[in-house]
Amino acid sequence: MTALDAELGAAVRGSDRAVTRAEVEDFLFAEAALLDRQRYDEWLALFVEGGRYEVPTTDAGATPASQGGYFVCDDWDLLRARVKRLRSRKAHAENPPSLVHRMIANVRLLEREGDELAVTANFIVHRARDGRTNAFPGRYVHRLQVTDDGLRFRLRRAELALEQLEAGARLSFIL
Amino acid sequence: MTSPSLSPDPDAAPLVVQDWERLAFRVHRRAYRDDALFAAERSRIWDRTWLYLGHETELPNPNDYKVRALGGRPLIFTRDSTGELHAFLNSCPHRGTVLCRETQGSSKHFNCFYHAWAFHNTGEVAAIPDPSAYADEEYKASMRLREVARLEVFEGFVFVSFTDDVPPLLDHLGAAADYIRMIGEQHVAGMEVLPGTQLYSVRGNWKLAVENAMDGYHFSPTHNTFVGYLRESGFAVTDDDQYAYNLGNGHSLLILTGHGGRISMLWEPRFGEDERVRTAEHRREMELRLGSERAHLVADESHILFVFPNLLLFDLEGLSLRQLEPVAPGNTDVRAWQLAPRGEDPAVRDLRMRTMVSFVGPGGLATPDDIEAYEAVQRGIEATAGNGRAELDYSDMSRGMAADAAGERGRSTDEGAMRGFWRHWVRSVGAGGPVDIGTPPPPRPEPTPLPSSRPHGLDEILAGTETPAGQEEVAAR
Repeated sequence: MTALDAELGAAVRGSDRAVTRAEVEDFLFAEAALLDRQRYDEWLALFVEGGRYEVPTTDAGATPASQGGYFVCDDWDLLRARVKRLRSRKAHAENPPSLVHRMIANVRLLEREGDELAVTANFIVHRARDGRTNAFPGRYVHRLQVTDDGLRFRLRRAELALEQLEAGARLSFIL
Repeated sequence: MTSPSLSPDPDAAPLVVQDWERLAFRVHRRAYRDDALFAAERSRIWDRTWLYLGHETELPNPNDYKVRALGGRPLIFTRDSTGELHAFLNSCPHRGTVLCRETQGSSKHFNCFYHAWAFHNTGEVAAIPDPSAYADEEYKASMRLREVARLEVFEGFVFVSFTDDVPPLLDHLGAAADYIRMIGEQHVAGMEVLPGTQLYSVRGNWKLAVENAMDGYHFSPTHNTFVGYLRESGFAVTDDDQYAYNLGNGHSLLILTGHGGRISMLWEPRFGEDERVRTAEHRREMELRLGSERAHLVADESHILFVFPNLLLFDLEGLSLRQLEPVAPGNTDVRAWQLAPRGEDPAVRDLRMRTMVSFVGPGGLATPDDIEAYEAVQRGIEATAGNGRAELDYSDMSRGMAADAAGERGRSTDEGAMRGFWRHWVRSVGAGGPVDIGTPPPPRPEPTPLPSSRPHGLDEILAGTETPAGQEEVAAR
């Protein structure tokens, strides 16, 4: 954990400046454009060092990632491993890459504490692969760090509005 | 049957062929896609065999319930107000309406919205509106909830059968029972299923998921990126000295020692220094509680256990359960849960979740590639379907067949556990058994699982964390 602490210490300094909904929308739309084009290195740069990515199971409710079954509960180490994997030609579930297309709406700014801003948004991601298309509706529940030159993910969390992952709907891409 | 592979009629081609001259084993691909065989599996396997329903810790309190289907039959799995477990058909005895339309919860009663019939969670009728229109009390009592024919619990694992005509559960589990028992022995407080079910569906036949779990051969190529991640994090990965076993009644087992750490039992550098200290302490406790030999078996070997027909137990870095629910020949629902020690240290629980979810499940770094494989097989096997192609329309599972002929145990990277599964399947489904070419070996018992040659993990970990108390206990054993 000492290596991680050092990384966190070197992280970008937070800011208590005001943030508008338009800025958050631009951030999320730009992120969506990166993911739709499989530009994973640039996407990873949207996280603070030590950032996390979570997708709870469809029945997890309020169970925290550390205490129950999740589809994804990546710490910084696993998140970097996931990106490295996605860039490999040996990530068979995403080679060739799925065609993904995401819509983001209903962006809301929630509580603000120091340099941390909680935001939610609705999403729908369409993913076409192997002659079929799956739709993934859900809600983002992110915690962002506000910095002087933009926003960064501390926690990027995608909560599915599905009863279960339907056939073919494995989360080998970024939701 | 003569010349089994040359039949022009694909429905007459034998399903499972074992050629003892060429040491070849083949499975006809209609086994994965044929509607009539799927119906036969439902009626001859799912309706006639013990099925894994759930774990008793999913229902910790009286009146808790979960709703899930088995073999296409919707069920209410509940702990009644007196604490007893039931599996009711989720269908009103009156006219068949789905009775409980929630997926989980806690309730003393199940009420049908259609005509307002109400039932206690013991199954008895609680109320029928305007009962005077029915003959008598006896008639009313006969309308109790329909229940599965049998329900038995082994070490917290709840199994049901839709027919009375099954052996006792322990007879069905046979040699698989001890590997289930070992799970409970890992921790003194026992194990519990964690909330958060991975519910997903794959476009593949359920038997492809069984094959995949029993297939050590796919691990390195399919999980290339995950193995790379493990190696970078200081995790040893080897396929040497690992074996596969058929346990009878369709159950099978891989004993793995080459994939490294097991949380709280076998330490790996990526688990961190705190975990090393906790692991040493826990291993000493296991040593006293179970004895050295048993503690070694329980702690130092990883197991992948298949309990025919619908339960997969992955006892690896952590523990996960996977239940297979065939929906159609080319479509399977999967439900996966994490099992963890009751009252586990939150830091260990956190490590466990990250470690297991990173591998297993449809959002992990490895399982999506398995699903890609089942789905690609399901699409690919269409290529050889149809009249006139019967001879080509087989999948090959010959790897390591010489071990079957010699009656020896096979390596985990061979296909012997799959062959054992298919031999059992083809008899169970009413297709008469495998067709032999050449002279089959004389009947003899399956090789018994042997303890691995892996050294005792307690010695390894104490070498790194010597304490006076630890030395005393090592000396004692």
